[in-house]
Amino acid sequence: MVKLEDLRQEAAGILKSGKVKYIIGYTRGTNGFRPIPAFIKDPDDVENLIWNPACVHNLTKFIVDEKKRLKKEKNPDKRPIGIIVKGCDSRAINVLLQEKYINREDVYLLGVSCEKTGVLDEKKLNKKLKGRRALQVDFKDNGSWLVTTDSGQEKIQAEELLADRCIECKANFPVVYDIVFGDKSLRKTDRPFQSVENMENLSQKERWEFWKEQLDKCIRCYACRSACPMCYCDECVVDTISFAVEPDTPAEEKAQKIKWIEKSPNLSENIIYHLTRAMHLAGRCIDCGECERVCPLDIPIRFLNKKMEKEAKTLFDYEVGFDPGKPSLVSSFKDEDPEDFIR
Amino acid sequence: MAEEFEPKIVAFLCKWCSSAGSDLAGVSRMEYPPNVIPIQVMCSGSVSPLYILSAFKKGADGVLVSGCHPGDCHYIKGNFYARRRIALVKELLEFVGLDPERFQMSWVSAAEGVKYTEIIKDLVKELKPLGPQTKLRRNP
Amino acid sequence: MEKILTKKSFPEWAEKLKAYKIYAPILDDGTWSYEVINKAGDIDLDFPNTVQAPKKIINPQREVFLEFGRSDEDTPEIKEVLPEEKPVVIFGVRPCDAKALTLTDMVFDGDSKDVYYLKRRNQTVIIGLSCNTPPSPNCFCTSVDGSPHSEEGFDILLTDLGDRYFVRSLTKKGDTLIDLGKALFTAPKANDKKELTKIHTDAEKKLKREIKDVAKIPPKLKEMFESPLWDDESMSCLRCGICTYLCPTCHCFDISDEVTSVSPFKGYRIRTWDNCQFPDFTMHSSGHNPRPDKASRLRQRIMHKYQYFVERYDHYQCTGCGRCVSKCPVGIDIIEVLNKVRDYG
Repeated sequence: MVKLEDLRQEAAGILKSGKVKYIIGYTRGTNGFRPIPAFIKDPDDVENLIWNPACVHNLTKFIVDEKKRLKKEKNPDKRPIGIIVKGCDSRAINVLLQEKYINREDVYLLGVSCEKTGVLDEKKLNKKLKGRRALQVDFKDNGSWLVTTDSGQEKIQAEELLADRCIECKANFPVVYDIVFGDKSLRKTDRPFQSVENMENLSQKERWEFWKEQLDKCIRCYACRSACPMCYCDECVVDTISFAVEPDTPAEEKAQKIKWIEKSPNLSENIIYHLTRAMHLAGRCIDCGECERVCPLDIPIRFLNKKMEKEAKTLFDYEVGFDPGKPSLVSSFKDEDPEDFIR
Repeated sequence: MAEEFEPKIVAFLCKWCSSAGSDLAGVSRMEYPPNVIPIQVMCSGSVSPLYILSAFKKGADGVLVSGCHPGDCHYIKGNFYARRRIALVKELLEFVGLDPERFQMSWVSAAEGVKYTEIIKDLVKELKPLGPQTKLRRNP
Repeated sequence: MEKILTKKSFPEWAEKLKAYKIYAPILDDGTWSYEVINKAGDIDLDFPNTVQAPKKIINPQREVFLEFGRSDEDTPEIKEVLPEEKPVVIFGVRPCDAKALTLTDMVFDGDSKDVYYLKRRNQTVIIGLSCNTPPSPNCFCTSVDGSPHSEEGFDILLTDLGDRYFVRSLTKKGDTLIDLGKALFTAPKANDKKELTKIHTDAEKKLKREIKDVAKIPPKLKEMFESPLWDDESMSCLRCGICTYLCPTCHCFDISDEVTSVSPFKGYRIRTWDNCQFPDFTMHSSGHNPRPDKASRLRQRIMHKYQYFVERYDHYQCTGCGRCVSKCPVGIDIIEVLNKVRDYG
């Protein structure tokens, strides 16, 4: 059981002692039951912290934001930031540590265990409600959740609403933390890549039709990139205009910057964008599912990254986010790496 | 009379081994299909997934990445990195539904002019029945 | 003119509009969006609201301005590309989205006329569906001079009376459409009008959210340019851009050149949507960026909608559709922010 009181007490403690600058956690929002990220500086405000299976967000993105903000400040406050991390989020921290983007002393991790549930997938909830909107969700009963809509209440089994990534999760207990709340009751999964395997078993034609339809929808809002904690490049390959430009950069140089991916949101450019992003996240994506959650057009972006995660494991025996001391996937190699596909 | 389809193959050849191998094939007057557009890169390890995707976007029917044999890389380790990276790109392209024959990798040393011509001959033979690549190609 | 059309006859009327390209809301895998309809029977007006506003039909995400290339004689060739000549009908537009079109009209049909926008706008007939109940728990149209049965921006407005629609035609384009199906329409009776008024009045009371004293906000905003409020409110912003892309009134764009082939040299000058929440939106070619942080960009969005546009055009640039509130991944709520602005200090 994650005891919310203990979590709040710890949070108040480290704020009072000045150990952390502020704490990033979850609090109640104004849009029904959906929690929102909270930035708590005052120890008295810890009463606003909540924890339930609707706390979907990966808060490590804000660690990345903080680092970018600190770079610009003249006298930065170098104290660590307290952050509430689920199992998946803690692996994100490990990847950031692995890439030396942050130091361990920059964060104080309050780990929470997902225990027997995992997080609620709002898209599954909407499908189940067939267009009616969920106003409130009561998570008290672990097995089935009470959903209130405009037309009444209904009990829905938790398993039907669990996010796919939670069903396939191997680490619902934080792998790195300073203090942890909740039990280590691991959910067993013996088929961690089931959804990817289902897709692989489709015929080539079916796979292409699926991806053609999905990626054609993309409007290139880049919400997937903005929500991903691993997409922290100052210059992204998609934004050619933001490449480092100074007052004395000559005009020819600016004009010759290669535009690998054009702005038009047609199928071909969209595929290049998403595939490039999947390659850049190979061995770095920890499947927090934010990319898919934020997509306004419900494109199953997670699949591409999950496929890369599966190949990292199958081909190179590489697991993402468990060991911050390991080298990254594409900047290391083994003599035994498979080469049966090479003539 | 309909013209037979001739696949356009973009080949990224590492300067020190594969490109030299293709030069040897030329200098030795070996015959092989003229469907290849060779692009010389310094090392197979420098081939970014963007080059490959960009080639397909611009209408390449097939892409070949070729480098030195493992252990012989001019930059010691470049081809080991390529081996990993290209494996991932290949898996990804197949996952999305591209024909697996369209994207291939090979080890060709500076002395293997014959091997190079065989690779190209086989590649053209495999690509001809598949027809033009339309999936990733940008239609204006 | 005012008419009654039974729901049974509705598909027959839609059949008569074959000369038009018809858009209507379609449910695809849990998401509603405006798509082209080929069969009249596919039109389903029992929907809340679409995720993407109908602005994408009149002001598309990407449109071509001109084609350029190099001729055989090595001279430049430039060809203007205008939108396709095809009359369009959009069914089931909500009053907030139609009012939004009148707001973008002020920009594109104001001092300078945008040929591309106007060509599409003038060949489109907008058939609306008034809201008997708020489509979203985050609707707040009545707070920004709107209403669930507002007629602004429509050619025809339908109100659902159960087994029939009350049809009100507001323009000549609307009259033409009704004439195409003349026989299917009947004259409204006295109790039809009574029911209409009752539904409209009830609908206004059902909205769950509001901004009180919204008129106080523009002058307040004017003094709050340097306020620390923007830092606090934008802390959790991901700069994902969803709020702006889904907003029916947002219309900023970027013009760029795309070269699609080098030999022969060919390309397009295109217009694509741009987004003030993207970090590069205000990037200058010198490398300087006047809005480098999230606080300044959030401030820009709120002030543009509730102060600059008010000053320039005397209207709020927000129609209260609630999409930004429902879809923001981190729950930044424009209504909450505006309430805080009003009560600040």
